[in-house]
Amino acid sequence: LTSDCKINANRANARASTGPRSAAGRTRSARNALRHGLSLAVCCNPTFSEEVETLAREIAGPSANAETHELACRVAEAQIDLLRVRRARHQFLSDTLSDRYYDSLANVRKKATAIRHFVRPNAPEMPLEVLAKFVASTPQGPDKFALILSQESKQLTAMDRYERRALSRRKFAIRALDEARRLAGAVRSEQDPKAPFSG
Amino acid sequence: MVARRKLKARGKPTTSEADAAAARLSSLFGPPLLLEGEDAAAYDQLLARVCEAVKPVDIIDEMFIANIIFLEWQVWRWRRLKLSLIQARGLEALKSFLIEQIDYDSYSEHLTRDLTDILRDNLPEDEAESAETLLHRYGQDKSDAVDKVNKILEENGQDIDHILNDAKAKKAKELVQEYMQREPGAVTEVDELLSNAGMSIDTLMANALAEKLNDVERIDHLATIAESRRNASLREIDRRRAALGETLRRSVQGIEHAELKLIETTTPKGKSAA
Repeated sequence: LTSDCKINANRANARASTGPRSAAGRTRSARNALRHGLSLAVCCNPTFSEEVETLAREIAGPSANAETHELACRVAEAQIDLLRVRRARHQFLSDTLSDRYYDSLANVRKKATAIRHFVRPNAPEMPLEVLAKFVASTPQGPDKFALILSQESKQLTAMDRYERRALSRRKFAIRALDEARRLAGAVRSEQDPKAPFSG
Repeated sequence: MVARRKLKARGKPTTSEADAAAARLSSLFGPPLLLEGEDAAAYDQLLARVCEAVKPVDIIDEMFIANIIFLEWQVWRWRRLKLSLIQARGLEALKSFLIEQIDYDSYSEHLTRDLTDILRDNLPEDEAESAETLLHRYGQDKSDAVDKVNKILEENGQDIDHILNDAKAKKAKELVQEYMQREPGAVTEVDELLSNAGMSIDTLMANALAEKLNDVERIDHLATIAESRRNASLREIDRRRAALGETLRRSVQGIEHAELKLIETTTPKGKSAA
Protein backbone atom coordinates (compact mmCIF):
# COMPACT_ATOMS: atom_id res chain seq x y z
CA LEU A 1 0.00 0.00 0.00
CA THR A 2 1.33 3.47 -0.86
CA SER A 3 1.99 5.51 2.24
CA ASP A 4 0.34 8.88 2.82
CA CYS A 5 3.72 10.48 2.75
CA LYS A 6 4.42 9.12 -0.74
CA ILE A 7 0.96 10.09 -1.99
CA ASN A 8 1.50 13.66 -0.76
CA ALA A 9 4.94 13.81 -2.37
CA ASN A 10 3.54 12.49 -5.67
CA ARG A 11 0.78 15.08 -5.63
CA ALA A 12 3.24 17.88 -4.88
CA ASN A 13 5.48 16.71 -7.73
CA ALA A 14 2.53 16.46 -10.09
CA ARG A 15 1.51 20.01 -9.25
CA ALA A 16 5.04 21.20 -9.93
CA SER A 17 5.28 19.58 -13.38
CA THR A 18 2.32 20.57 -15.46
CA GLY A 19 3.95 20.09 -18.85
CA PRO A 20 4.75 22.76 -21.40
CA ARG A 21 3.46 26.25 -20.64
CA SER A 22 3.85 28.18 -23.88
CA ALA A 23 1.26 27.83 -26.64
CA ALA A 24 3.90 26.49 -29.03
CA GLY A 25 5.05 23.93 -26.46
CA ARG A 26 1.49 22.82 -25.79
CA THR A 27 0.81 22.51 -29.52
CA ARG A 28 3.94 20.45 -29.97
CA SER A 29 3.26 18.18 -27.00
CA ALA A 30 -0.31 17.69 -28.19
CA ARG A 31 1.19 15.87 -31.16
CA ASN A 32 3.49 13.69 -29.06
CA ALA A 33 1.37 10.58 -29.43
CA LEU A 34 0.67 11.17 -33.13
CA ARG A 35 2.26 8.51 -35.30
CA HIS A 36 0.56 8.63 -38.67
CA GLY A 37 -2.89 9.96 -37.78
CA LEU A 38 -4.59 7.17 -39.71
CA SER A 39 -6.89 6.24 -36.84
CA LEU A 40 -8.63 9.62 -37.23
CA ALA A 41 -11.63 9.68 -39.55
CA VAL A 42 -11.14 11.63 -42.79
CA CYS A 43 -13.97 13.99 -41.83
CA CYS A 44 -11.81 15.29 -38.94
CA ASN A 45 -9.44 16.87 -41.44
CA PRO A 46 -10.83 19.87 -43.38
CA THR A 47 -8.65 19.17 -46.44
CA PHE A 48 -9.85 15.58 -46.66
CA SER A 49 -13.46 16.63 -46.02
CA GLU A 50 -13.27 18.91 -49.02
CA GLU A 51 -11.82 16.12 -51.16
CA VAL A 52 -14.60 13.77 -49.97
CA GLU A 53 -17.27 16.30 -50.89
CA THR A 54 -15.81 16.89 -54.37
CA LEU A 55 -15.48 13.18 -55.07
CA ALA A 56 -18.95 12.44 -53.69
CA ARG A 57 -20.48 15.02 -56.06
CA GLU A 58 -18.59 13.41 -58.96
CA ILE A 59 -19.81 9.92 -57.95
CA ALA A 60 -23.43 10.90 -57.31
CA GLY A 61 -23.78 12.95 -60.49
CA PRO A 62 -25.66 16.22 -60.99
CA SER A 63 -29.22 14.91 -60.58
CA ALA A 64 -28.68 12.79 -57.46
CA ASN A 65 -31.23 12.67 -54.71
CA ALA A 66 -30.33 12.94 -51.01
CA GLU A 67 -30.08 9.17 -50.52
CA THR A 68 -27.73 8.69 -53.49
CA HIS A 69 -25.62 11.60 -52.34
CA GLU A 70 -25.38 10.12 -48.85
CA LEU A 71 -24.28 6.76 -50.26
CA ALA A 72 -21.83 8.47 -52.62
CA CYS A 73 -20.37 10.26 -49.61
CA ARG A 74 -19.71 6.90 -47.96
CA VAL A 75 -17.91 5.66 -51.08
CA ALA A 76 -15.90 8.88 -51.36
CA GLU A 77 -14.96 8.78 -47.69
CA ALA A 78 -13.66 5.24 -47.95
CA GLN A 79 -11.81 6.08 -51.19
CA ILE A 80 -10.12 9.16 -49.71
CA ASP A 81 -9.27 7.16 -46.60
CA LEU A 82 -7.70 4.47 -48.80
CA LEU A 83 -5.64 7.05 -50.68
CA ARG A 84 -4.58 8.64 -47.38
CA VAL A 85 -3.35 5.30 -46.01
CA ARG A 86 -1.50 4.49 -49.22
CA ARG A 87 0.12 7.92 -49.35
CA ALA A 88 1.20 7.61 -45.71
CA ARG A 89 2.79 4.21 -46.33
CA HIS A 90 4.45 5.45 -49.51
CA GLN A 91 5.85 8.46 -47.66
CA PHE A 92 7.11 6.22 -44.89
CA LEU A 93 8.81 3.83 -47.33
CA SER A 94 10.29 6.68 -49.41
CA ASP A 95 11.68 8.43 -46.34
CA THR A 96 13.18 5.25 -44.93
CA LEU A 97 14.65 4.19 -48.26
CA SER A 98 16.28 7.59 -48.74
CA ASP A 99 17.74 7.56 -45.22
CA ARG A 100 21.46 7.16 -45.90
CA TYR A 101 22.22 5.93 -42.40
CA TYR A 102 19.42 3.38 -42.09
CA ASP A 103 20.73 0.15 -40.63
CA SER A 104 19.61 -2.84 -38.61
CA LEU A 105 19.41 -2.33 -34.85
CA ALA A 106 22.01 -5.08 -34.34
CA ASN A 107 24.47 -3.25 -36.62
CA VAL A 108 23.79 0.09 -34.95
CA ARG A 109 24.61 -1.51 -31.57
CA LYS A 110 27.81 -3.04 -32.99
CA LYS A 111 28.86 0.34 -34.39
CA ALA A 112 28.20 2.08 -31.08
CA THR A 113 30.27 -0.57 -29.27
CA ALA A 114 33.12 -0.15 -31.79
CA ILE A 115 33.13 3.63 -31.29
CA ARG A 116 33.08 3.24 -27.48
CA HIS A 117 36.04 0.86 -27.69
CA PHE A 118 37.89 3.22 -29.99
CA VAL A 119 37.58 6.28 -27.73
CA ARG A 120 38.65 4.39 -24.60
CA PRO A 121 42.01 5.59 -23.13
CA ASN A 122 43.70 2.22 -23.47
CA ALA A 123 41.92 1.20 -26.67
CA PRO A 124 43.50 -1.52 -28.83
CA GLU A 125 45.08 -0.09 -31.95
CA MET A 126 42.70 0.15 -34.86
CA PRO A 127 43.21 2.27 -37.99
CA LEU A 128 40.74 5.14 -38.11
CA GLU A 129 39.92 4.35 -41.76
CA VAL A 130 38.82 0.83 -40.82
CA LEU A 131 36.53 2.17 -38.08
CA ALA A 132 35.18 4.91 -40.36
CA LYS A 133 34.50 2.36 -43.10
CA PHE A 134 32.69 0.09 -40.65
CA VAL A 135 30.60 2.90 -39.15
CA ALA A 136 29.68 4.34 -42.55
CA SER A 137 28.75 0.96 -44.06
CA THR A 138 25.00 0.52 -44.42
CA PRO A 139 22.88 -1.96 -46.36
CA GLN A 140 22.07 -0.86 -49.89
CA GLY A 141 19.71 -1.77 -52.71
CA PRO A 142 17.47 -4.83 -52.26
CA ASP A 143 19.10 -5.70 -48.93
CA LYS A 144 18.09 -2.32 -47.53
CA PHE A 145 14.52 -2.68 -48.79
CA ALA A 146 14.27 -6.20 -47.32
CA LEU A 147 15.67 -4.91 -44.02
CA ILE A 148 13.08 -2.11 -43.90
CA LEU A 149 10.27 -4.60 -44.55
CA SER A 150 11.54 -6.79 -41.75
CA GLN A 151 12.48 -4.13 -39.20
CA GLU A 152 9.47 -1.88 -39.75
CA SER A 153 7.01 -4.74 -40.15
CA LYS A 154 4.98 -3.64 -37.12
CA GLN A 155 4.24 -0.21 -38.55
CA LEU A 156 3.75 -1.53 -42.08
CA THR A 157 1.33 -4.20 -40.82
CA ALA A 158 -0.65 -1.54 -38.96
CA MET A 159 -0.89 0.54 -42.14
CA ASP A 160 -1.92 -2.56 -44.09
CA ARG A 161 -4.73 -3.11 -41.59
CA TYR A 162 -6.01 0.43 -42.23
CA GLU A 163 -5.84 -0.21 -45.97
CA ARG A 164 -7.78 -3.47 -45.66
CA ARG A 165 -10.50 -1.78 -43.63
CA ALA A 166 -10.79 1.13 -46.08
CA LEU A 167 -11.03 -1.33 -49.00
CA SER A 168 -13.74 -3.30 -47.23
CA ARG A 169 -15.69 -0.15 -46.35
CA ARG A 170 -15.45 1.05 -49.94
CA LYS A 171 -16.60 -2.30 -51.35
CA PHE A 172 -19.77 -2.36 -49.24
CA ALA A 173 -20.44 1.34 -49.82
CA ILE A 174 -20.21 0.80 -53.60
CA ARG A 175 -22.52 -2.21 -53.38
CA ALA A 176 -25.06 -0.16 -51.40
CA LEU A 177 -24.86 2.68 -53.93
CA ASP A 178 -25.26 0.30 -56.88
CA GLU A 179 -28.23 -1.38 -55.22
CA ALA A 180 -29.91 1.96 -54.49
CA ARG A 181 -29.39 3.02 -58.10
CA ARG A 182 -30.71 -0.30 -59.37
CA LEU A 183 -33.87 0.01 -57.28
CA ALA A 184 -34.33 3.64 -58.31
CA GLY A 185 -33.90 2.61 -61.97
CA ALA A 186 -36.43 -0.21 -61.60
CA VAL A 187 -39.00 2.12 -60.03
CA ARG A 188 -38.43 4.71 -62.76
CA SER A 189 -38.81 2.17 -65.55
CA GLU A 190 -42.07 0.92 -63.98
CA GLN A 191 -43.44 4.44 -63.74
CA ASP A 192 -42.23 5.57 -67.16
CA PRO A 193 -41.08 2.67 -69.35
CA LYS A 194 -39.81 5.00 -72.08
CA ALA A 195 -37.60 6.96 -69.68
CA PRO A 196 -33.93 6.63 -70.61
CA PHE A 197 -31.91 4.35 -68.38
CA SER A 198 -29.59 6.03 -65.91
CA GLY A 199 -27.41 4.09 -63.48
CA MET B 1 -15.42 13.18 -67.99
CA VAL B 2 -14.85 13.99 -71.66
CA ALA B 3 -12.55 11.00 -72.01
CA ARG B 4 -15.16 8.71 -70.45
CA ARG B 5 -17.86 9.95 -72.80
CA LYS B 6 -15.53 9.31 -75.72
CA LEU B 7 -14.81 5.82 -74.39
CA LYS B 8 -18.54 5.15 -74.15
CA ALA B 9 -19.29 6.55 -77.55
CA ARG B 10 -16.88 4.44 -79.55
CA GLY B 11 -16.20 0.75 -79.41
CA LYS B 12 -12.46 0.46 -79.08
CA PRO B 13 -10.52 3.33 -77.56
CA THR B 14 -7.41 4.56 -79.30
CA THR B 15 -4.14 4.87 -77.40
CA SER B 16 -4.63 8.62 -77.01
CA GLU B 17 -8.04 7.98 -75.44
CA ALA B 18 -6.50 5.50 -73.06
CA ASP B 19 -3.85 8.10 -72.25
CA ALA B 20 -6.57 10.66 -71.58
CA ALA B 21 -8.35 8.19 -69.30
CA ALA B 22 -5.08 7.59 -67.52
CA ALA B 23 -4.58 11.35 -67.11
CA ARG B 24 -8.08 11.62 -65.67
CA LEU B 25 -7.32 8.88 -63.14
CA SER B 26 -4.21 10.76 -62.07
CA SER B 27 -6.17 13.98 -61.65
CA LEU B 28 -8.87 12.19 -59.64
CA PHE B 29 -6.78 9.99 -57.39
CA GLY B 30 -3.43 11.76 -57.34
CA PRO B 31 -0.09 11.05 -58.96
CA PRO B 32 1.26 7.47 -59.02
CA LEU B 33 2.99 6.39 -55.84
CA LEU B 34 6.37 5.40 -57.23
CA LEU B 35 9.49 4.76 -55.23
CA GLU B 36 12.89 6.09 -56.22
CA GLY B 37 14.24 4.26 -59.26
CA GLU B 38 10.85 2.99 -60.44
CA ASP B 39 9.92 3.56 -64.07
CA ALA B 40 7.14 6.16 -64.40
CA ALA B 41 6.78 5.43 -68.12
CA ALA B 42 6.13 1.74 -67.41
CA TYR B 43 3.49 2.74 -64.87
CA ASP B 44 1.75 5.01 -67.40
CA GLN B 45 1.88 2.24 -69.98
CA LEU B 46 0.25 -0.20 -67.55
CA LEU B 47 -2.42 2.39 -66.73
CA ALA B 48 -3.18 3.02 -70.41
CA ARG B 49 -3.32 -0.73 -71.14
CA VAL B 50 -5.71 -1.46 -68.27
CA CYS B 51 -7.91 1.51 -69.20
CA GLU B 52 -8.04 0.22 -72.76
CA ALA B 53 -8.92 -3.30 -71.64
CA VAL B 54 -11.49 -2.49 -68.95
CA LYS B 55 -13.13 0.54 -70.65
CA PRO B 56 -14.45 2.32 -67.55
CA VAL B 57 -18.11 3.31 -67.76
CA ASP B 58 -18.29 5.46 -64.65
CA ILE B 59 -16.19 6.89 -61.85
CA ILE B 60 -16.63 3.76 -59.72
CA ASP B 61 -15.05 1.70 -62.51
CA GLU B 62 -12.24 4.24 -62.60
CA MET B 63 -11.77 3.78 -58.86
CA PHE B 64 -11.43 0.05 -59.35
CA ILE B 65 -9.01 0.57 -62.23
CA ALA B 66 -6.84 2.89 -60.14
CA ASN B 67 -6.90 0.26 -57.41
CA ILE B 68 -6.00 -2.59 -59.78
CA ILE B 69 -3.10 -0.63 -61.23
CA PHE B 70 -1.78 0.32 -57.81
CA LEU B 71 -1.95 -3.29 -56.65
CA GLU B 72 -0.53 -4.71 -59.88
CA TRP B 73 2.38 -2.30 -59.55
CA GLN B 74 2.89 -3.52 -56.01
CA VAL B 75 2.93 -7.14 -57.19
CA TRP B 76 5.60 -6.19 -59.75
CA ARG B 77 7.51 -4.28 -57.10
CA TRP B 78 7.59 -7.24 -54.70
CA ARG B 79 8.51 -9.68 -57.47
CA ARG B 80 11.32 -7.42 -58.66
CA LEU B 81 12.58 -7.03 -55.09
CA LYS B 82 12.52 -10.79 -54.50
CA LEU B 83 14.38 -11.47 -57.72
CA SER B 84 17.02 -8.83 -57.14
CA LEU B 85 17.46 -9.93 -53.53
CA ILE B 86 18.05 -13.55 -54.55
CA GLN B 87 20.30 -12.46 -57.39
CA ALA B 88 22.35 -10.10 -55.22
CA ARG B 89 22.74 -12.77 -52.54
CA GLY B 90 23.71 -15.34 -55.16
CA LEU B 91 26.32 -13.06 -56.72
CA GLU B 92 27.72 -12.27 -53.31
CA ALA B 93 27.97 -16.00 -52.56
CA LEU B 94 29.66 -16.59 -55.92
CA LYS B 95 32.11 -13.76 -55.24
CA SER B 96 32.99 -15.16 -51.80
CA PHE B 97 33.43 -18.60 -53.33
CA LEU B 98 35.72 -17.24 -56.06
CA ILE B 99 37.82 -15.30 -53.54
CA GLU B 100 38.45 -18.61 -51.77
CA GLN B 101 39.07 -20.61 -54.92
CA ILE B 102 40.86 -18.49 -57.54
CA ASP B 103 44.54 -19.25 -57.93
CA TYR B 104 47.44 -16.82 -57.97
CA ASP B 105 47.77 -16.84 -61.78
CA SER B 106 44.27 -15.47 -62.13
CA TYR B 107 44.74 -12.42 -59.95
CA SER B 108 48.52 -11.82 -60.31
CA GLU B 109 47.83 -9.17 -62.95
CA HIS B 110 45.67 -7.17 -60.52
CA LEU B 111 48.22 -7.59 -57.76
CA THR B 112 51.08 -6.36 -59.97
CA ARG B 113 49.03 -3.37 -61.10
CA ASP B 114 48.04 -2.39 -57.56
CA LEU B 115 51.58 -2.74 -56.22
CA THR B 116 53.06 -0.80 -59.14
CA ASP B 117 50.60 2.05 -58.50
CA ILE B 118 51.52 2.16 -54.80
CA LEU B 119 55.25 2.14 -55.55
CA ARG B 120 54.95 4.81 -58.26
CA ASP B 121 53.06 7.08 -55.87
CA ASN B 122 55.56 6.62 -53.07
CA LEU B 123 58.97 6.32 -54.70
CA PRO B 124 61.01 9.51 -55.05
CA GLU B 125 60.37 11.27 -58.38
CA ASP B 126 63.67 10.23 -59.94
CA GLU B 127 63.03 6.57 -59.05
CA ALA B 128 59.36 6.47 -60.05
CA GLU B 129 60.14 4.93 -63.43
CA SER B 130 61.91 2.01 -61.74
CA ALA B 131 58.76 0.80 -59.94
CA GLU B 132 58.38 -2.14 -62.37
CA THR B 133 62.02 -3.12 -61.93
CA LEU B 134 61.73 -2.96 -58.17
CA LEU B 135 58.59 -5.06 -58.29
CA HIS B 136 60.25 -7.57 -60.57
CA ARG B 137 63.12 -7.92 -58.11
CA TYR B 138 60.59 -8.17 -55.27
CA GLY B 139 58.95 -11.04 -57.14
CA GLN B 140 62.34 -12.75 -57.38
CA ASP B 141 62.63 -12.41 -53.58
CA LYS B 142 65.76 -10.18 -53.68
CA SER B 143 66.28 -9.10 -50.09
CA ASP B 144 67.02 -5.41 -50.84
CA ALA B 145 63.88 -5.11 -53.01
CA VAL B 146 61.77 -6.95 -50.43
CA ASP B 147 63.00 -4.62 -47.68
CA LYS B 148 62.39 -1.52 -49.76
CA VAL B 149 58.86 -2.54 -50.81
CA ASN B 150 57.95 -3.58 -47.25
CA LYS B 151 59.25 -0.27 -45.94
CA ILE B 152 57.14 1.71 -48.44
CA LEU B 153 54.07 -0.35 -47.60
CA GLU B 154 54.65 0.06 -43.88
CA GLU B 155 55.04 3.81 -44.24
CA ASN B 156 51.66 3.87 -45.98
CA GLY B 157 49.98 1.75 -43.32
CA GLN B 158 49.51 -1.17 -45.73
CA ASP B 159 50.70 -4.74 -45.85
CA ILE B 160 51.11 -7.22 -48.65
CA ASP B 161 48.33 -9.54 -47.38
CA HIS B 162 45.83 -6.71 -47.51
CA ILE B 163 46.84 -5.82 -51.07
CA LEU B 164 46.71 -9.51 -52.02
CA ASN B 165 43.17 -9.84 -50.69
CA ASP B 166 42.13 -6.66 -52.49
CA ALA B 167 43.50 -8.01 -55.77
CA LYS B 168 41.67 -11.31 -55.21
CA ALA B 169 38.43 -9.46 -54.48
CA LYS B 170 38.82 -7.30 -57.59
CA LYS B 171 39.44 -10.32 -59.78
CA ALA B 172 36.51 -12.19 -58.23
CA LYS B 173 34.21 -9.20 -58.83
CA GLU B 174 35.39 -8.94 -62.42
CA LEU B 175 34.79 -12.67 -62.97
CA VAL B 176 31.29 -12.47 -61.46
CA GLN B 177 30.36 -9.59 -63.76
CA GLU B 178 31.70 -11.41 -66.81
CA TYR B 179 29.92 -14.58 -65.71
CA MET B 180 26.64 -12.65 -65.45
CA GLN B 181 27.17 -11.36 -68.99
CA ARG B 182 27.76 -14.99 -70.00
CA GLU B 183 31.22 -14.33 -71.43
CA PRO B 184 32.52 -17.75 -72.52
CA GLY B 185 35.95 -17.43 -70.87
CA ALA B 186 34.50 -16.44 -67.50
CA VAL B 187 31.75 -19.08 -67.70
CA THR B 188 34.30 -21.83 -68.33
CA GLU B 189 36.58 -20.62 -65.54
CA VAL B 190 33.79 -20.32 -62.97
CA ASP B 191 32.19 -23.65 -63.94
CA GLU B 192 35.58 -25.33 -63.66
CA LEU B 193 36.20 -23.86 -60.21
CA LEU B 194 32.72 -24.90 -59.08
CA SER B 195 33.06 -28.47 -60.35
CA ASN B 196 36.54 -28.76 -58.77
CA ALA B 197 34.92 -27.86 -55.44
CA GLY B 198 32.10 -30.37 -56.07
CA MET B 199 29.50 -27.63 -56.42
CA SER B 200 27.27 -26.09 -59.05
CA ILE B 201 25.87 -22.60 -59.48
CA ASP B 202 22.45 -23.94 -58.41
CA THR B 203 23.79 -25.26 -55.10
CA LEU B 204 25.47 -21.93 -54.49
CA MET B 205 22.26 -20.02 -55.25
CA ALA B 206 20.20 -22.40 -53.10
CA ASN B 207 22.57 -21.91 -50.16
CA ALA B 208 22.38 -18.16 -50.64
CA LEU B 209 18.58 -18.30 -50.77
CA ALA B 210 18.45 -20.27 -47.53
CA GLU B 211 20.11 -17.33 -45.78
CA LYS B 212 17.40 -14.96 -47.01
CA LEU B 213 14.43 -17.28 -46.68
CA ASN B 214 12.66 -15.11 -44.11
CA ASP B 215 12.93 -12.04 -46.31
CA VAL B 216 11.77 -13.96 -49.37
CA GLU B 217 8.78 -15.33 -47.47
CA ARG B 218 7.87 -11.86 -46.24
CA ILE B 219 8.04 -10.45 -49.77
CA ASP B 220 5.99 -13.38 -51.12
CA HIS B 221 3.36 -12.69 -48.48
CA LEU B 222 3.14 -9.03 -49.52
CA ALA B 223 2.81 -10.03 -53.17
CA THR B 224 0.04 -12.51 -52.29
CA ILE B 225 -1.89 -9.83 -50.38
CA ALA B 226 -1.61 -7.41 -53.31
CA GLU B 227 -2.68 -10.14 -55.76
CA SER B 228 -5.73 -11.14 -53.75
CA ARG B 229 -6.82 -7.49 -53.39
CA ARG B 230 -6.31 -6.92 -57.12
CA ASN B 231 -8.42 -10.02 -57.89
CA ALA B 232 -11.12 -8.79 -55.52
CA SER B 233 -11.28 -5.52 -57.48
CA LEU B 234 -11.54 -7.44 -60.75
CA ARG B 235 -14.41 -9.48 -59.30
CA GLU B 236 -16.16 -6.28 -58.23
CA ILE B 237 -15.89 -4.91 -61.78
CA ASP B 238 -17.39 -8.20 -63.07
CA ARG B 239 -20.19 -8.01 -60.53
CA ARG B 240 -20.99 -4.42 -61.46
CA ARG B 241 -20.92 -5.22 -65.17
CA ALA B 242 -23.27 -8.16 -64.62
CA ALA B 243 -25.64 -6.00 -62.55
CA LEU B 244 -25.48 -3.22 -65.16
CA GLY B 245 -26.20 -5.74 -67.92
CA GLU B 246 -29.15 -7.13 -65.97
CA THR B 247 -30.58 -3.66 -65.31
CA LEU B 248 -30.18 -2.68 -68.96
CA ARG B 249 -31.87 -5.93 -70.06
CA ARG B 250 -34.78 -5.30 -67.72
CA SER B 251 -35.06 -1.72 -68.88
CA VAL B 252 -35.12 -2.79 -72.54
CA GLN B 253 -37.71 -5.48 -71.74
CA GLY B 254 -39.83 -2.84 -69.99
CA ILE B 255 -39.70 -0.57 -73.03
CA GLU B 256 -40.57 -3.46 -75.38
CA HIS B 257 -43.47 -4.47 -73.13
CA ALA B 258 -44.81 -0.92 -73.11
CA GLU B 259 -44.52 -0.69 -76.92
CA LEU B 260 -46.43 -3.96 -77.19
CA LYS B 261 -49.20 -2.66 -74.89
CA LEU B 262 -49.40 0.49 -77.00
CA ILE B 263 -49.81 -1.56 -80.19
CA GLU B 264 -52.41 -3.82 -78.52
CA THR B 265 -54.46 -0.86 -77.33
CA THR B 266 -54.31 0.97 -80.69
CA THR B 267 -55.01 -2.09 -82.97
CA PRO B 268 -58.69 -2.72 -81.94
CA LYS B 269 -59.52 0.92 -82.66
CA GLY B 270 -58.09 0.52 -86.14
CA LYS B 271 -60.04 -2.73 -86.59
CA SER B 272 -63.35 -1.10 -85.50
CA ALA B 273 -62.70 1.80 -87.81
CA ALA B 274 -62.18 -0.63 -90.63
